[in-house]
Amino acid sequence: MTLSLGIFYAFAALIVGGALVVVLARDVFRSAIALAGVLVLVAGLFGLLNADFLAAAQLLVYVGGVLVLMLFVIMLLLSPQNQLRHQTNKQAISAALMSGVTATFLIVQFYAFLRSDAPAMEGQPSTAALGRLLMGEFLVPFEVVSLVLLAALVGAVYLSREERP
Amino acid sequence: MTLLHVLVLSAVLFAIGLFGLLSRRNVLGMIMSLELLFNAAAINFAAFDHFLYPDRTLGQGFVLFVIAIAAAEAVIGLALVLKLYRHE
Repeated sequence: MTLSLGIFYAFAALIVGGALVVVLARDVFRSAIALAGVLVLVAGLFGLLNADFLAAAQLLVYVGGVLVLMLFVIMLLLSPQNQLRHQTNKQAISAALMSGVTATFLIVQFYAFLRSDAPAMEGQPSTAALGRLLMGEFLVPFEVVSLVLLAALVGAVYLSREERP
Repeated sequence: MTLLHVLVLSAVLFAIGLFGLLSRRNVLGMIMSLELLFNAAAINFAAFDHFLYPDRTLGQGFVLFVIAIAAAEAVIGLALVLKLYRHE
């Protein structure tokens, strides 16, 4: 089994598990967090498919935009009584120990990786080709999408404004 | 990793999202399931682009459009959810 196949299987298992949590979790907040995990993993899958610009766009637009918006709405609608409870449990010492060990392990591994010969990247970055595509063959759909986004913006402002008698 | 692997993954993701869309009672949960559906379609586009037409980037362009449309959909859906809950 090659390395990329192994990475793909790990990604696939995590994506399917996260999607099941999104669908089955009773708490909406929990499923939103699981959705964040799924979206980040799909971005990683795009990277595995040699689509580097798509991975960046997925992270920026989905995780940075759509998901934060969803969490805003969830927190606006949830009752604020959760804030009154204690936010930490009694496992602070073991948690600190665990995270310290993890950080040390990661730093040692990164150091060893940088000292060794890093494997060569395969595939070319696709950003320039995508830009040429959007400005050439896809110019009209590109402009139409900007119009759609503008319409969505105006519609959202119109829907969520306060009604005055 | 072959095309079939990725297509099976996207089909499973699509099925899970469809199940959530049909079985969720909460509107927010339905919107999240819709995002899963969009992502399954985007994975399909990127996989076909990578395995069948690696020298053209048409599929990746389509994924960009999918992401933009999904953002617009989420904005409108969340505005509707806010409106709905404010009226209750």
